[in-house]
Amino acid sequence: MNILGMGILSTRGLGVAAWENALNEGWRAPSAIGIPGEPGGQRSAYLVDLDTVADRTLLKKLRRADKLSKISVLAAADALADSGIPEIGRKKIGIILATAFGAHVTTFGFLDDILDYGDEQVSPTTFSNSVHNAAVSYVTSTLNLQGPTLTVTRFSFPFHCALQLAQAWLDQGRCDHVLVGGADLYGDVLGYVCDLKLTPARDGRIQPFSFQPTCQVPGEGAVFFLLGRGEGAAPYCRLTAVRFGEDADRDAPADLNLIDADGISPDESAYRAWLSQGTPTAAYAPLVGSMMIGGAFNLAAGALMLRRQTLFATPVQDNPHGVKLQTETRQVSIASIRSIGCNCLGEQVVTYLGRI
Amino acid sequence: MTTDDILITGLGVISAAGNGLAETLASFERGSRNAAAVSLFPTTMHYPVFEVRQIPRDYQLEGQRTLSLALAAVDQALEEAGLADLSHCRVGVCLGTTVASQLNDLDFYRSYRERGEAPLTSVDRYLEGNLAENLARRLKARGPVLTVVNACSSGTDAIGVALSWLKSDLCDLVIAGGADELNHVPYCGFASLGILNPGLCAPFDRDRQGLNLGEGAGVMILEKKSLALRRGKSAGLFLAGYGSMCDAYHLTAPSPEGVGLKASLVAALAEAGIGAAQVGFVNAHGTGTHDNDLVEGKVLAEIFGPGLKMLSTKGFTGHTLGAAGGIEAVFSAAALREGWIPASAGFATADQAIPLTPVREQSAIDGAYAVSTSLAFGGNNAAVVIGQGVGL
Repeated sequence: MNILGMGILSTRGLGVAAWENALNEGWRAPSAIGIPGEPGGQRSAYLVDLDTVADRTLLKKLRRADKLSKISVLAAADALADSGIPEIGRKKIGIILATAFGAHVTTFGFLDDILDYGDEQVSPTTFSNSVHNAAVSYVTSTLNLQGPTLTVTRFSFPFHCALQLAQAWLDQGRCDHVLVGGADLYGDVLGYVCDLKLTPARDGRIQPFSFQPTCQVPGEGAVFFLLGRGEGAAPYCRLTAVRFGEDADRDAPADLNLIDADGISPDESAYRAWLSQGTPTAAYAPLVGSMMIGGAFNLAAGALMLRRQTLFATPVQDNPHGVKLQTETRQVSIASIRSIGCNCLGEQVVTYLGRI
Repeated sequence: MTTDDILITGLGVISAAGNGLAETLASFERGSRNAAAVSLFPTTMHYPVFEVRQIPRDYQLEGQRTLSLALAAVDQALEEAGLADLSHCRVGVCLGTTVASQLNDLDFYRSYRERGEAPLTSVDRYLEGNLAENLARRLKARGPVLTVVNACSSGTDAIGVALSWLKSDLCDLVIAGGADELNHVPYCGFASLGILNPGLCAPFDRDRQGLNLGEGAGVMILEKKSLALRRGKSAGLFLAGYGSMCDAYHLTAPSPEGVGLKASLVAALAEAGIGAAQVGFVNAHGTGTHDNDLVEGKVLAEIFGPGLKMLSTKGFTGHTLGAAGGIEAVFSAAALREGWIPASAGFATADQAIPLTPVREQSAIDGAYAVSTSLAFGGNNAAVVIGQGVGL
């Protein structure tokens, strides 16, 4: 299947152009977020600022939606528009949204209701928005998409699982195209949990090539790919394989290795087994923050590189283990990119992108 | 691949209607409705619920009630399928839920809010408790793994995902279904929506006043026929089709025309390669709310005609949310095998606005196919078609 369109919303803005700018400009410091109940306390995070979204049309329709729903709708709509396919909205489009934590901020808001007002005085709107599939519901109703619709969750590789299912849907003719998305939010409770369970990056820089010990900066955002079997108006690349576990092409040549290392695991040494001195490696988590759906941003970078035939410099280049890094941005012939995700349990997923 | 190539070789279920199919079917025959006041958490409200009174001791995991329910159902299904060892095949796991996907522990959050800190025990349980991931790691499953969180259609959609995986040869066997515990948060949430019934639910009844929440798990072992043949196994049941379509209408209300449900049913029947007349009965979503039953009844009548045998089993289990699709698919498969469906509990008086009435008494079924439907928050609609062959 092919990536026909992309919609990306991160701390660096909305749209492929904003993402390309981020890839060109490199690392920026995260925001300092106040810690509730801790005067003067701060933690770093990469947040999406919806005030920077220039076109307010969709946001006006989403006044009652929570932030997860808003970023999901914006990214999904952007992916459809980016495809350039005429009357794409009239096609039978399936949607699969992958999220690790869902609408946790709204869920805690609903718990606030229960604690503050009691069982009988809670807000039905808050409850409705706290349901995991509310975001996709807003996507379908806002964009009038009536195909098969799923929200799925895992803590390991949720976006890649969604990609694998999308391929099956397309192969079986369940829809003409599939919008596959990943979306997750930052919230104070999640930040608190990250502080306790993981190591915050003291200087705000995620160091993907340190492997152990690791450090993280929470992030948030949404990525949607419009996938299809045809080539559409201007496809980015082929998505040739998503493989969990063993990879028969492990030793096959690739022009770039992308790794999803972002400090969410305390030990990311498993990546080292995948890297070689023959293939440059990059990781773009330092641009957007640590997220369990973060692999989607790396794949978006890979797809853009294949379209532009340009390798973007990996943004944070601390390299204590001497990994061959993609240290500069340059135009080059790119035929294939291997994207690798590993977790601390020895599980892995490998995704291959290829030039069309 | 033909439409009977994905066999259902094991069924497992636990709900207020019973632990295991034997207990459940006996409850159905007796017409037992085991609803009562909430006992699992303190609340100022008095809406009755369908709790599982006793989770078998071996499955009781502290703070992980949904997972406990799921594991109980999974083991039943594996036992029926004769699968003590899964190492010989690629096993996928796809389970639907709502509650287990959310970190909604009130004690944890109260502590965090009041003191700025809280023990992370409940966070650890949550992170370890992703249903499909947890089960896959317990079983060392080597196939695809997903937890579906499509609200009330999660279980049905999980079974549909499993069908897609098997048809695409991503695995040989899938453990599929749904599980959900009765939880304080949705109890308050559904009450706030004004759709909880102060009495017992009465799906499709003229005087229905809303739903009762319940809990449980329903799991199927879905298996390629080729693998089942090699194992010398046959249940005679197969998963013939799945359809899922969205209303694109409203966050909490179904499309008045049932746009998505209609399209889901058409897609599921098409995949099964059958016409509506070949369907022996429909196990409807039938929550007992005004809107759901009205829309669903109209759509079922339009597609299957006025003579359709139809029921809702939520009168026995309550609405088990993410588990409902799994539980009801298991009931549908069991009914095909047994040759009868129970009376649609709670139904007494026909609603003139709904052109179908559910069965009032235990009824024999004709036809080799059953359909189970789910409608969900967010406008999700899903249907599965289950068939019964003559054996292998």
